[in-house]
Formats: sequence, structure tokens, C-alpha cells
Amino acid sequence: MREILRNPAGLVGSVLLVIVLAAAVLGPFVAPYDPQQFHAASRLQGPSAAFWLGTDQYGRDLLSRLLNGAPATVLFGLGATALGVGAGSIIGVVAGVAGGRVDSVIMRVLDGLLAMPELLFTLLIVTFLGGGTSQAMLAVAVTFTPGMARIARSAVLSVRTRDYVQAAIARGESRAWIVGREVLPNALGPIIVEATIRVSFAIMIGATLGFLGLGAQPPSTEWGLMVAEARQFMFRNPWCVAVPGVAIAVTAMGFNLFGDALRDAFDPRRRRI
Amino acid sequence: MTEFMLKRRHVLMGMTATTLGGLALPGGLRAQDATPKRGGTLRISHTTRIATLNVLNLSGPAEYPVVDMLYSGLTRIGLDSMAHPDLAERWEATPDATEFTFFLREGLTFHDGSPCTAEDVVATYEAILNPDVPAAARSVLSMIDKIEAVDPLTVRFHLSTPFADLPFSTAHANARILSRAALAAPLTELDTKANGTGPFKLETYDSARILRMVRNDNYYQPDKPYLDAVEMLLFPDLAAESANFLSGATDVMLTVQQAEYARIAAAAGIEAQRVASGRYVCVVMRQDQKPWDDVRVRKALALATDRDLLVEVILEGLGRPAYDSLVAPELEYATEKPVIPYDPDGARKLLAEAGYPDGLKVELVASDRPAIRVQTAIALQQSAAAGGFDINIVTMPHDTYLAEVWMKGAFYIGYWGMQPTIDSTYKLLLTSDGSYQDTEWKNAEFDSLIAEGSATTDPAKRAEIYARVQEMELADTPYVVPFFEDVLTANSDKTFGWTVAPISRYYYTEDVWLDRG
Amino acid sequence: MTLAYVLRRLGAIIVVLAIVTIAVFGITVVLPGNAAVMILGEHATPESLAAMERQLGLNQPVLTQYLNWVGGVLHGDFGMSLRLSLPVSQVVGEAFRNSLSLALLALVTVTAVAIPLGVIAALRRGTIWDLMIGLFSYVGTAMPEFVTATLLLIIFASPEWPVLPAGGFVPPGEDLVGYLRHAILPAATLGLILMAHISRQVRSEMSEVLSSDFIRAARLKGIRERRVIWRHALPNSLAPAVAVISLDIGYLLGGIIVVEEIFAWPGLGRLLIYALQNRDLPVIQAVTLLLAVVYALSNLVADLVIAWLDPRVHHA
Repeated sequence: MREILRNPAGLVGSVLLVIVLAAAVLGPFVAPYDPQQFHAASRLQGPSAAFWLGTDQYGRDLLSRLLNGAPATVLFGLGATALGVGAGSIIGVVAGVAGGRVDSVIMRVLDGLLAMPELLFTLLIVTFLGGGTSQAMLAVAVTFTPGMARIARSAVLSVRTRDYVQAAIARGESRAWIVGREVLPNALGPIIVEATIRVSFAIMIGATLGFLGLGAQPPSTEWGLMVAEARQFMFRNPWCVAVPGVAIAVTAMGFNLFGDALRDAFDPRRRRI
Repeated sequence: MTEFMLKRRHVLMGMTATTLGGLALPGGLRAQDATPKRGGTLRISHTTRIATLNVLNLSGPAEYPVVDMLYSGLTRIGLDSMAHPDLAERWEATPDATEFTFFLREGLTFHDGSPCTAEDVVATYEAILNPDVPAAARSVLSMIDKIEAVDPLTVRFHLSTPFADLPFSTAHANARILSRAALAAPLTELDTKANGTGPFKLETYDSARILRMVRNDNYYQPDKPYLDAVEMLLFPDLAAESANFLSGATDVMLTVQQAEYARIAAAAGIEAQRVASGRYVCVVMRQDQKPWDDVRVRKALALATDRDLLVEVILEGLGRPAYDSLVAPELEYATEKPVIPYDPDGARKLLAEAGYPDGLKVELVASDRPAIRVQTAIALQQSAAAGGFDINIVTMPHDTYLAEVWMKGAFYIGYWGMQPTIDSTYKLLLTSDGSYQDTEWKNAEFDSLIAEGSATTDPAKRAEIYARVQEMELADTPYVVPFFEDVLTANSDKTFGWTVAPISRYYYTEDVWLDRG
Repeated sequence: MTLAYVLRRLGAIIVVLAIVTIAVFGITVVLPGNAAVMILGEHATPESLAAMERQLGLNQPVLTQYLNWVGGVLHGDFGMSLRLSLPVSQVVGEAFRNSLSLALLALVTVTAVAIPLGVIAALRRGTIWDLMIGLFSYVGTAMPEFVTATLLLIIFASPEWPVLPAGGFVPPGEDLVGYLRHAILPAATLGLILMAHISRQVRSEMSEVLSSDFIRAARLKGIRERRVIWRHALPNSLAPAVAVISLDIGYLLGGIIVVEEIFAWPGLGRLLIYALQNRDLPVIQAVTLLLAVVYALSNLVADLVIAWLDPRVHHA
């Protein structure tokens, strides 16, 4: 952790992450208004003493909506990534450990899945799943799986030839023991680094799906959806699109910077650069 | 056969070449002051695709004006929401309203020069009634038993049940007259070709960009249309559309969004038009199951609906509150509806009486298209919360909604265009055999009164019957109808005579003229 | 790297495409509703629905529908759009041209700007330039297209002060200046993210090469710095840059969907969303196939270019 904070990018990333996570945890409790409550007399207003970030087309308080949407947005990123990374890692580790024909079949299938552009793939899946937050999360996870499987597999392969694994094999340890005690812990580093960076992608894709009407559905306070709903009114009150838009960017940037710093900390060779 | 003509307010029967549009133009004063100028190309902007020209089943907002220019029907709905002569110069009915005779104008021709006769009318209606042909007008014409060409200029309809409003049904936007030849060819050719009798002829059709029509010199109204050509220009985006309109690159903006109306109306050189219409959103409550089977619950929701708030927030004030009747005030025989105040306490009380002292938790489905459905759901959720309703909104893609919720769900948001008569309004949704009867409200007395109304040709008697059915609707609240939405359109101040009927779908472009001076 | 390798890759691409079409077809058929439901909307009656399904051929057995479609495609006939009453090839062809012109515009501008930016950042490591370029690239990669696009719209296309059109399209053949004016904002949206991504990659590759032994050796040999950079460092960091650009084509194909939708650019992305909403299966199939082909081929070309630039890469 100290490594990360010493890196300026890591420091900024950590600060942003703390802010975002704090909003996600405390947001709904500190929001000044009910995020769904109409203030019909104050529609589409800029920031004021009563509404710190202004109001949307129904006169709902933007700050309260932003704070309430934080957990949904962050959890979406974490959830989709966890699912994708989990599934991908299992597939990758199986392929890497099994080797031979199993490995080559799995790799062929993964190559096939990777032959689709990422957002197109997600879009098709989520259209067919029918839209909605959990469908979107599943779609992003499925999209992440092949890429994560490749990374996990190569991590396993690089660990497999290491001395300590060879030693364990020579000692006649069981395969499960070797995978569990030697291979996995050592292959975990690259997986975690990749996962952290992927969270920011997941948040961005989730928001994009929300924006396209395929993710979270009204009256959810998911940030991408907030932008989509207010788009028609963006020239009358730029705040109602700018506020959630900037929030998405800040969150994605936080995970991005933190992930990069994490990678540098794991990979000393890169730190020089 | 006793001769008899259906008497209508404001209508002179058999009068040919009436300027339908000239009756109540918002820009009518100006139009009367000046003599119409000939020539010019009218450029109309729109943002929804003209995906097909197939008049039998199209339903796109930008497709209606096109078929209104390319084709004519036997009759046509005017700005006064009444049926007027179109290809038929007059009609007669038997007093029991089971036999109608339409007399065509002399010398009618299709755009290709071939004559339009009673045989073409018969062929068209037979196609509409053929179950193998997808035809949107069939549901309002299903009472036709037989149709015959008495002579080249006379068509007779024999009805299986009495139906006094037939001239309104023949004015249906999807019941325009096609030629026998076109109906004999593969029907998919109607998608891209048009050989009608309307004021304009199709010249080019590129569904991705532009549709251009030119003057039909043989149009039955002498000296009309005034314009040389009309272009329908597809703008892929609202912002681009309004920017082009405001800069003068187009003359008419077919549909103005509520959010943009104030800005466009305030622009120099622009005339924005608000046409009070009977287009409504309705809250569907399925009444063969709990909790909506209890009228007190439905009335509670009605009291918990803040109609003024909805009009203000959703329609930007461009509409009128409605009070749970599907019947628009514009319709013949419409009665005055009592105001239903926003009364959340009253709603709670009614809920408690119905056995829900702690309020009611319900799931409301809204399709994602058009956006007004979701907006209504959101506003209703807020408004009804104070009245004890804990509404959970489920938004879904339109295809899923159509396949799984529409006509099946217990509680969802409907959205309908205005119908031309009380009879067609109720037969769409409320009678037991209604085309889209989705509430299971089903009331035998109501059904028989509606049947009686359509079988009666005496206006006084009909007024009495229709007053009674509207009363029944109000007493039972089968739907919560929170508002009527205005039709919004705009034209440059160099465009004269442009307007839209309250029922929309009818545009009278033959009366439009330009003076770019 | 041999002809056999290229052929094997092409074979794999064809297999993938076949699987994609089966998947898209199967799932679309399984989903509730179809094109007939969407065309008739809330004017449908059971019998008109049945008639429309007959007219569109949706009443045939699923397998027959699929085989008919495949048979047509093998003869170069992609069928008729179910919603637009036009041949699919015409609808998709036009959209493809519009998307391609937008994507190329974005890609060329970006490459011309991003590679020099990355080089500058690597050479001036630790200076304010490096920091600013770094900051820009971080902000750029963290903004989803719809956020960038919306912010650009507010700044450049507000009704009060419209510098550029808020959306829409003019065919370049009709009015080239108009075309470019409409293309600027969507291309900029796509470009910002690409630029951020590519410049960051070039910087990091370049930095790595610059600190490598053979550059140090070249410097020790007394070769002039300019020559070291242009003749030794840059070529060696280009292979990874090409790899990144090829990956970015995948991104571009996705990003263009969102950008076209926001700026109402009549390309493949907007067409795909329209077709998905209307369940226009022949169009969905054609667009998906086309995007997948472009992506797969660009990956293949990129691999070949990388192998050519960097002989150390071997293909098993």
C-alpha cells in the first residue's frame, strides 16, 4: 500500500477511490432529500442553496440522486468484474493446469469469443437478456470472461515452470494441493491487477448500457441512466447531464489510476518507467 | 329505401370541394385575408422513419401525412373531428343503419391516369376485410357483411349489425382507396410504390433521407393543390431538426417535442401550433383479480393522481387534465366531466375501506417507448405515494412489453391516439368485445347501450344514450386517464394553411400554400 | 509466418462467423415477440399478426428460415429488411460507408496526433508536458463516449451559441464542408478516448525501449540523440503501437454504436440499434457479421504487420 501511495498517480487514484467509496457507503444516508421526490416549482435549476447541484426535469435534487446512485454504480462495477474475473480465472486455471487437449479446446473457444468487438458483444447479450441491471451485469461479466481466462491461463503457465512448483511435483504432492497452495497464490497478482483496472471498464460499460436504455431502468438513480433521462433537457440545464457524467468519469479514473499503481507495485520492472 | 342523411353538426352534406382545412385554421385568419399563391415546394421535417408506404397497415407518425397526401378515402375526418366527403361526394343510409350507399365523384383518376371506380372501392374493402392481409382498418370495419358496386359510381355496403358511424370508419387513415391493379400485384409492392387519388403523386422515396411528392394535376378539387411539390425530410435527430427549421431550411416541423415547444414558439418568423387533442395515457387496471376488482381501489388511485402536476411535469403544460374518461371533449356527444381533485387523504380513506388500511403495494409496468409512458409512471409513483400507494415501477423494452404485458398485465401504462367517435373510442378498449379490451371490466348494460347507440340514427336519442354510457364509465373508473396530450406542430410564417386535425393523421396539405415573398 | 498460418486464421474466422449467425438467429427466434409484433404494435389483432407473419415468412419452421437465409447469403443475397422495405445490402451498405468514413476520420486524426504526443511524453519524462499528457490520457480513458459526447454538445452545440451542428449527417458528395462540420463532434468523441489510449501506450513502450540496453549501447557509441530516437527507438516501439491501434479498432466498432446514436449519424451502429429495437433479424445478422468480419480481419492484418515489424514474434 505504501508503494502505491508513493506513486503520484496512485495517490490521486486512492484519494478518488476513497471519496467514491465513501459516497457509495454513506451517500444514501447523507443525501439531503429523497432522490425521487419532485419539487415541481424548482424544475431544471442550477445549483442553489436549497439544491447544491441543481435539479432535473422533475425537480428532483441532483445531489441526492447522485449520492443514491453511487452504491448502484460502484456495486455494478465490482459485481460484474467479480463475476467475470471469477469465471474467467476458473476457466483459465483449468486450461493452464490441465494442458493438452482440454487446454487447446478451451483456447479455441476463447479465441472465438474474443473475435467479437467488446461493446457489440455486450450489447447483443444484454438485448437478448432483455435489459435491466442484473442482465447488464451478467452481460459485462460474460464479455470479461474470455479475456480474464487468457490472463489467468498465462499466469498459471508462467508459475507452473517455477522451481517451487517443480519441487512440489518432485515431492509427489497431489495435484489439487499444488494448484491450491503453490500455483493459485502466485498467479493471483496479475489477476488482481487486471481485475482492478477492469472495474473502471465495467463501470463505464454499465453506465453506457444505462444510457442506451439497456441497463438500469427508471426511476433508478444509476448515473448513466440519469444522463440519458436528462439528455432532452441538457441545453436548458447542463447540470443535469454534467453532474452524473463527471461522477462516472471520476469513479472510472479512480479505479484506473489505482489499478495502474497496483500493477507498478506488483511489477517492479515497470516502476522505473 | 327511405332517403336519409346522417346529420352532423357543421357539415353540409354532399358539398363537394369543401376546404376541409379551412374550417378552423389557427392561421385561418391570415389564410382568409390573402389569396392563396400557387407553386413552391413545401419542406416538412420529421424524425421518425417512413419505413413503408403500405397504406393498409402503416402506423408511423411520419407515414400518416404521406398517405394523406398520396391517397384519398371515401370519406375523411375534418378539423371539426367529423366525417366529410372525400372520394364519395355524398352518402345515404337506411334508417336502421344496416345499408350504406356511397356516391363517388365523377371523373376520378388514379395517379397513373386509370379511372377510379366503384370496382376499385370494392376491391380495396375486400382486401381490408381479408384475414390473410394485414390491414389496420379491419377492426373498425368488421361489421361489413358484403360490399357491391351498384354502378361505376355507386358502392353499397351491407352491414351484419347496424352501424350509424360507418362514414367515420371509412375515413380511417388505413382505409384509403387502392386500385384493383395494385391489389392484384404482390402486396409488398405497396411498401415502396403508390398509385393513389390524393393531391400529390410519389416522385422519389428514399426511406433513409427524403420522400418527394409532386402536384397531382388531376386532383378532384379544382385548382388544388396550390403547391408544386412536397418534400418529407428525415432528420435523424431532434436537435438537428429544430436547428434546420429555425434557420429556414425547412418550412414545417411535423412534430414539436414538449420540451422544445416554448423555445420554438418564441422564435421569430415561426408559428407554433397547439392542437387540443384526444390522445391520452391510460392506467390499465385488470379487474378480474385483486386488488383492482374493487372499485374503491380504482377510485383511490384516481384521487391519488395529481393531474395538474402530471400535465405540468410531463407535458410541460401542453395538454389538459382528463378525468378518467377516454372520451375527448372534442367528440360529438361528449359530456362535461366533473373535476377529480387531488385528494391523497381521500385516497387513503378509500383504500382503508377496501381493506388496505396500511396502503397498497403494486407493480406498475411501463414500456420504454415512447418515453411518455415511463414519465407517467414516475410521476404517478410520486403523486400516488401520498395516497397510500407504494408503486414499484418495472420498465421494459417495447418488444417484451408487446409480447408479454400488453393485454395481459395487471397494472400497466397504455397510450392511445384519439378515435373519431365515442363508439370507436369505447369499442377500442371498453366493450366486452373491444379490439384491445384489456381491463376485463366487461359490463353487459354498457355493451348493449353502445350497440343501441350505433344502431340509432336519431341524434337526440344518441346523445341520451352516450350521456348514459359516459356516466357509467365515470361511476366505475375502469381506467385512470390522467390527461389529454396536445398535438404540437410548427410552420414558418411564410407557410399558410398548414395544420393538423385533433385526431392527427389528417393534414389537408392540398390547402397549404407558400409565400416566400 | 506462412501462407498456411494466414489460411488457418481465415478458416477460424469463418467458423466463428458461422457460430455468431446461429447464435444471433437462435436467440432472436426464442425471444418473445418478433418483427410482425413490432410493425403492428398496438394495432395488432391475432389475425392481422398471423397475416403479417405469413407475409414476412416468420411462420415457417425456424430451421427453414435459417437455411433460407444462409442460402441467400452464400449467393450474396442478404434478403429484405423486415422493417424498412429495402434490400438489406442497400441499407447496410449505405450505413457501412457512413460508419467507415467516420471511423477512418477519427483513426487518422488520432494516429497523427497520439503518436507524437506519446513520443513527446516519453522524451520529456517527468516534465510538465509529460504530466499534462498523462493527465489528459487518464481523463480521456475514464470518460465513456456518451459523457464526452454530451459535454462536447453542451459546449459546442447549444442553441444559444451553436458553433457546430448538434447531430445529423450530410452526404459528402452533396456538401463536403457540411459533411465535415457534422463529422467533427462525433469524430472528436471517438478520437479523445483513442488518443488517450494510444498516446499512453506509445509513451510506455517508448520509455521501455529508451531505457533498454541496445539504446544505451547506441548512445554510448556516440550516435546522435535524434538518430537514436528516429532510427532505433521509434521503430522498436511502433510494433506495440500497431497492436494497440488494432485493438482500438475493436473499441472503435463498439464506440461507434454509442456515438452514432448520440449524434444521429446514419451508420452501422445506429442501424443496429434500430434493427434490435424492431427485431429486424436480417439487418441484425448482416450488421453483426460485418462488424465481426472487420474486427477479425483488422486483427489478422495487425498480427501480420507486427510480425513484419518485429521478426522476433513467432507464430506457433
